[in-house]
Amino acid sequence: MNRLYTIVRAYPTLLRIGLAEAIAYRAEFIVWMLTTTLPLIMLVVFAAAAREAPIGRFGQADFAAYYLATLIVRQMTGAWVVWELTMEIRQGTLPLKLLRPLHPLIAYSAENLAAIPMRAAIAVPIAVVMLIFTGRAHFTHDPLQLFTFLVALCGAWLLQFAFMSIIGTLGMYIESALAVFDLWMGLFAVLSGYLVPLELFPHWVQKVANVLPFRYMLGFPVELLTGGLTRGGALRQLGLQWAWAGAALLGARALWRAGTRRYEAYGG
Amino acid sequence: MIEVDRLIKQYKVHRREAGLGATLRSLVRRRYETVTAVDDLSFAIGPGERVGFLGPNGAGKTTTLKILSGLLWPTAGAVRVGGHIPQRREVEFLKSITLVMGQKQQLLWDLPPVETFALNRAIYDLPKASFEQTVAELVDLLGLAGLVNRPTRQLSLGERMKCELVAALLHRPRVLFLDEPTIGLDVSMQVTIREFIRTYNERFGATVLLTSHYMDDVVALCPRVIVIDKGRLTYEGDLRELVHRVRPHKQVVIKLARPVAREQLAAIGQVAAHADGQATLQIPQQTLNAAVSRALSELPVVDLSVEDPPIEDVMRELFAHPTQRPPS
Amino acid sequence: MLRYARLLGVEMRVSLALAAQYRADFVLEGVMSLFWLGWNIVPLMVVFGVRPTIAGWSFNEALIVMGWFTILRSLLEAAINPSLLAVVEHIRKGTLDFVLLKPADAQFLVSTVRFELWPLLGVAGGAVLIGDAFVRLGQAPQALHVAVAAALLLLAALVLYSVWILVISAAFWVVRLDNLAYLFNAIFDAARWPSSVFRGFLRVVFTFVIPLAMMTTYPAEALLGRLRLQAALGAGLGALVFASLARLTWRRAIAHYTSASS
Repeated sequence: MNRLYTIVRAYPTLLRIGLAEAIAYRAEFIVWMLTTTLPLIMLVVFAAAAREAPIGRFGQADFAAYYLATLIVRQMTGAWVVWELTMEIRQGTLPLKLLRPLHPLIAYSAENLAAIPMRAAIAVPIAVVMLIFTGRAHFTHDPLQLFTFLVALCGAWLLQFAFMSIIGTLGMYIESALAVFDLWMGLFAVLSGYLVPLELFPHWVQKVANVLPFRYMLGFPVELLTGGLTRGGALRQLGLQWAWAGAALLGARALWRAGTRRYEAYGG
Repeated sequence: MIEVDRLIKQYKVHRREAGLGATLRSLVRRRYETVTAVDDLSFAIGPGERVGFLGPNGAGKTTTLKILSGLLWPTAGAVRVGGHIPQRREVEFLKSITLVMGQKQQLLWDLPPVETFALNRAIYDLPKASFEQTVAELVDLLGLAGLVNRPTRQLSLGERMKCELVAALLHRPRVLFLDEPTIGLDVSMQVTIREFIRTYNERFGATVLLTSHYMDDVVALCPRVIVIDKGRLTYEGDLRELVHRVRPHKQVVIKLARPVAREQLAAIGQVAAHADGQATLQIPQQTLNAAVSRALSELPVVDLSVEDPPIEDVMRELFAHPTQRPPS
Repeated sequence: MLRYARLLGVEMRVSLALAAQYRADFVLEGVMSLFWLGWNIVPLMVVFGVRPTIAGWSFNEALIVMGWFTILRSLLEAAINPSLLAVVEHIRKGTLDFVLLKPADAQFLVSTVRFELWPLLGVAGGAVLIGDAFVRLGQAPQALHVAVAAALLLLAALVLYSVWILVISAAFWVVRLDNLAYLFNAIFDAARWPSSVFRGFLRVVFTFVIPLAMMTTYPAEALLGRLRLQAALGAGLGALVFASLARLTWRRAIAHYTSASS
């Protein structure tokens, strides 16, 4: 209970500092946001492909809606805790963080969350552009689905953060946590719907994607936003998403505990 | 060898205040102010000399060294090292100098120092025979046999500094700029490095310009010192002279057979320290003999010694009251 | 000149020694390189799986573009990225001074600090892709076309290097720029597609501003015998201008670092 109290007290300050940092390093920040170019590139490619005839149910406007939604979801849920963790582990400054009464992962989460206002500042104009160009027809109007989308967005962020923490924590065990991260991102690109809408893959790929967590970090919220799901289906998948999030968080916590013990034993 | 004439160096830094409001404002507009790091500095150093650069933190010592080695351009004034203009960074000039920075290293971290040596050899274009001879001499002088083949990260701080010196001296520079070379080292290592620098200077006739926070470095190595404070030269000349000038006193340390009242001591000279068994008095040079005679006759003296005041004290006083000490 | 050649040799040997220090990493990187070679074809297969031709390019033809992309990106990761990322570290730690104190050209030193070995697999992999595509097309490129393509490849490498030098020069002003590597890679990713996919405004950008078109599409077109002479000459000229611009900017950056301009 004491631990929880510490967190609740410290969190607002951590958020404020995180925001100040985001503004201080704004150049770097903008660059990070700009690295999310893949949806735009794929949009251009698929728009070219769909020039003559739609692909599956996707015409050019559908692709535009899909990829712009992907861009927004990605911007709002990205977590870079992997970089921070690997840096801290490599530079040996992690022990300092471990001495504090606040779990370092909670501190990182505050930093990441604090950056969201700035990301939203970029994502919102994009959303407006989206609406103008593609028309409202390609997005869901159902208020329940929109609400579910917001919840799913939070779930996606949590899931992403948890897995990124796991990968970062691997840095306490192996030298090349970043190689694992690259691998992860490669799988993510294909199996989450980031590269290509999952619908356009052959069935067996879709089956595999449904079993893995990647889909719930991106594809699921995007499908909610572009109106591709039934109400019942949406709620069921929401449950799955949060189940994954819970499992990942527990996994992150366990791995962290084991990792710090090992890290402290070896002196970093 | 080194000539500095009316050197001035100014920077523009932007001022950022704390707080969220100021941070947001700095997004749009930034305020700059000019900082003068070096202010009208002039001095000359002859070949083969060993000169110490003294001054508090932020006095402009490192900035001056960087200007002398060509890393920074002066805002105004003329600088010449070995007849070259440093900021032109001519190949001949760069081959004739070396800069060692105590807090930064050029050694490759994961590889043994010999790899860094090989790299430097290629960069400085050194013929094989003389390169190997130089390495052998330096390794011998510094006692590094066997260590240079171990990865740098496995060496202790002192060993790393010694290897750093080897890497810096491979090309037999004629001018050595040493910026705090003994910082963070233990006392015996400091002595080793000092001895090495002295030997190197005497054997090869290299000019040495040294900055250090450790007075012992300067006392041991540098017959001549240049004192800088807030970018301005406050003293130049012999170190002993400086001590006399700032504190024209001697410290007389007296061991007493039995406790003596403070007033009795104060009658002889200014009391710097007073305990039951020992007292320290500060006596001006001129009256030293008379004061010592008085102490011997009036006090129950067991032992008496006359010392120079600690250099640290001298420096502290020098920097605390800069306007009271006109340059020589 | 000879001195610089010798220096390059030593730098490469040092990089190799460094890679050999961490053997487990070495093996892991080798395995990952092979994995990525295969994985990178997935987008191409997916897109062309749904349509036989896109913007006038068939799968096999697009495979050639993909092959050049792989070669270029491997060169980038083998010879250009590692050194220039090291520079950002130097600037951050303040050890760039040591580079500037050496009697050799700073740009050269900074560009040859580190090399990575495994990405060279990608060069071979890209060549295999191109070869495979031509086998499927049932034709072989003419010798002249191969020569032009090779020349374009060198020019493309020069442009890539120059872009990087520009990025690094920016690092002198804005210190924390290690993520610019990622931005660069993200934008460069567009080069895996034939440039005719991009229309209008984007097309102009990717041909003249960030000349991705010339890096991968032009060499592919050259091999297929479809490249117009003006385009090739334009690319050559543009590359040289870019390189000069980069060199000038680098020198300005160094001058700024040494506060010549204050």
